[in-house]
Amino acid sequence: MMTNQETPVKKIMIIGVPNTGKSLIFSNLTGKFTEVANSPLTTIQIKTAPLVIGDQRYVVFDTPGLRSLYIHSEEEILVRRTIFAEKPDIIIQCVDANRLKQSLGLTSDLLTLGLPLLICLNAIDETARKGMWIDSAALSRLLGVPVIESIALQAKGTTELKTAILRARAGKCAIGYGDIIENGLIQLVSKLPADIVFRRTIAVLMLMNDSHIERDVAEILDDGEMAELHQKIISIKQHFRGNIHLTIENQMSRWINRIYDNVVKQQRLVPTQVAQKIAGLCRHPLWGLPILFCVVYILYFLVANVANVISEWMNNYLWKPVQDGINDILPSGFWHDLLIGDYGVLSLGIANALMTVLPILGVFFLLFNTLEEIGYIPNLSVLTKRMLAKFGLSGGAIMPLVLGFGCKTMATLTTKILRSDRERCIAIFLIAFAIPCAPQIGLSMSILGRMGVSAFAIAFSVRVFIGMTSGLMLNLILKQEEEKFVFIQELPEMKWPSLRLVLKKTYYRLYWFLRESLMVFIYAALALFFLQKLGILEAMKHVLRPVVEGFLGLPLTMVDVIILCFARSEAGAGLIINLVQKGQLDYIQCIVAVIITTTFAPCFANIVAMIKEVGGKRASAMLFTITLSAFSIAGALNWTIRKLM
Amino acid sequence: MMNKGHTKEEYLERLWEMKEKEQVSVRDLEEAMASDFDRKFIEELSMDGLVVFTDGESNIGLTVDGESQARQIIRAHRIGERLLFDVFGEEFEKGACEFEHTKTIELVDGICTLLGHPRNCPHGMPIPEGDCCLRLAKTTNNAVVSLVEMEIGQSTRVAYIESRDDHRMHKLNGLQIRPGVLIRLHQRYPCYVVECEGGNIALDDNIAASIRVWSNSPHDQPQQKHLKNNQKVRSRWQKLLRIGHRSG
Repeated sequence: MMTNQETPVKKIMIIGVPNTGKSLIFSNLTGKFTEVANSPLTTIQIKTAPLVIGDQRYVVFDTPGLRSLYIHSEEEILVRRTIFAEKPDIIIQCVDANRLKQSLGLTSDLLTLGLPLLICLNAIDETARKGMWIDSAALSRLLGVPVIESIALQAKGTTELKTAILRARAGKCAIGYGDIIENGLIQLVSKLPADIVFRRTIAVLMLMNDSHIERDVAEILDDGEMAELHQKIISIKQHFRGNIHLTIENQMSRWINRIYDNVVKQQRLVPTQVAQKIAGLCRHPLWGLPILFCVVYILYFLVANVANVISEWMNNYLWKPVQDGINDILPSGFWHDLLIGDYGVLSLGIANALMTVLPILGVFFLLFNTLEEIGYIPNLSVLTKRMLAKFGLSGGAIMPLVLGFGCKTMATLTTKILRSDRERCIAIFLIAFAIPCAPQIGLSMSILGRMGVSAFAIAFSVRVFIGMTSGLMLNLILKQEEEKFVFIQELPEMKWPSLRLVLKKTYYRLYWFLRESLMVFIYAALALFFLQKLGILEAMKHVLRPVVEGFLGLPLTMVDVIILCFARSEAGAGLIINLVQKGQLDYIQCIVAVIITTTFAPCFANIVAMIKEVGGKRASAMLFTITLSAFSIAGALNWTIRKLM
Repeated sequence: MMNKGHTKEEYLERLWEMKEKEQVSVRDLEEAMASDFDRKFIEELSMDGLVVFTDGESNIGLTVDGESQARQIIRAHRIGERLLFDVFGEEFEKGACEFEHTKTIELVDGICTLLGHPRNCPHGMPIPEGDCCLRLAKTTNNAVVSLVEMEIGQSTRVAYIESRDDHRMHKLNGLQIRPGVLIRLHQRYPCYVVECEGGNIALDDNIAASIRVWSNSPHDQPQQKHLKNNQKVRSRWQKLLRIGHRSG
């Protein structure tokens, strides 16, 4: 161990524009799996993992997407600050070969930093289909840095990438902005302290009026120096006729075009591709909705018919024998109840998690991850755009909301990209309240599937209705602020899903689920067990009886479900399935139970994320409103359906 | 030796630009004109009633007459820049400097209409509105139209982006939506989707409207579709004929 300490650990940072496969490269290099999807905004936090090549030790950073060092959003500022603070020894720029031009701007920014750079030309296999041929040797020559071709999805090119890390070097990027700007830059650089790095880049960003660089520089300089710097910038701008920003951009575009024309040797106009056609249909105003309903129905069908069967089979063949065995040894008493009673650690804890919830989540994630891999989900942002505008949400909020169907916690964190406080609040509230996350969708499908398609259809419509009304109401309640976030959203290309990746992802999602929640399931069962033994549960049920039985029309055992939901909504759902199997819930009760358990309690992680984004006070106000609304809606639904039937 | 009339116009132009930057002092004018500065000319402009000194001769500003003349010069210059920049891509400054001296307002308005009444010059400075802009004059065929006026499936080249927001321009630029690139409109509803340099991008309506494109671009996709259809029809006939031969 001590011998390794002698050589310092080098830092490798993987950087690239959104959705270019950075996280895939990261996990290919380090073997550490992180969340990946064919969608922008998948990675929102910086992750690190160690890597050893020969006897050199490295630490690899996976970063969220960055379009250029000039900043557009909060997650970009995080990346830039990390680059400036960590001063990586090597940068790997991940480039989608099919969208080379979109990445070259960032390449020129990275080259001006003067750090050793290495370009990973990803998804190279798709370029051939598009009639594109990229001369990576010429690209390497022109930029002066190694260029590695790779297909990250199939983990091809990883070995080459590892050997190329040793060859990474600072490249060349000669973009001149003309005498006035260049002289101005030299003067600005001379005003910056000599010991800070990337001075030219900082100077360029200051001339471009980057929204954050001033704050960062102000931390280093004192007020007098800062004022002097400001004066200098103003005088350069006055001296320069016209718009410095545009001039800098035009020079950069010229450089990009020159590189591109030299490197992309042949490009023929390819007729509209099948993928393009399908993507077009998925976001078509007329066909998009039927396709969405089909997708939802297929998900439902497979969960209700395949997952439920697997779960039943596991219960009968894996759990029943264990239960019977214990029954034989301990027919009754405290230990019997503790292990396999109604609130037993084994029955309500482990069997619930492993036999009931796990197979359903497994099937659902398999399907959901396939959809993610295809790149279907971001296309929903186009379909729902107009509707969300009515909720007072501009286009920027669409992706976080759509991502909420995957994981509410992640989606809540991505609301960082929204600039207006009002929009962020609306989005976070909607994510917590109106959007069911993937496990909730999967388990609800499984519960409702036991009651037939119509139950699912009713619950689905109610959810859509809840989403719409809460959006509209929030929009009316919250005060209007000006300055809307503009919607410019890149859509990923649809592609054939990679089975290997879908399986790997499903495995990891299930693994994470078990790691995070198996203990929670057990603790929750224990808590219920002792509450019952101490008689507290009975007292609670007595108090809640009018609400649960009267207002919601549910059996009193649903109190257990609600308590479990506070711990983990999957645990509650598992218990509902048990109740359905025992015949304790009827058709209407099933629908009401699903609505209440999926609306009222966001998971613990989501609550933490909410507090992080909007503060404790607002988060608790939101949670209070959510709980109250959930109960009123479920109650109203109970009465309406009973009236109608 | 510079044409005397032209030099006066240069002064008026600088004074307009100073107004945009909220500068007022004669020193600023001196700095802007650099070696061309000659006190004699501003005296003459003052006598013509185009400029007025304030604050004891240390500050200078345009009179109403001077402002209207400067406005025309600036308008012609920036429209000229727009035209040259959009057509040729670069080196627009020189030509525009000559063009600004045109006295025919109709000519400037004509080009303005052709370009779809641009609001900003390629440097991002505002172009003063002309009568044609206020009337929103439309010829039967504006050469430059907004992206929203395109047909679905049509490809065309971007002429310019109508925006003064540097931040937005930079974002579009990063996605390669910039003058000269081929852009294709995929759908209009529920929101605009365009294809550009291999990427699909969904856009807000007002952003789509700010993208100005050449209306009669040679890359008309629907026409190609026609061709393809024709080929399909032809090959189907050929197949039929061949089958006919075999059976006969």
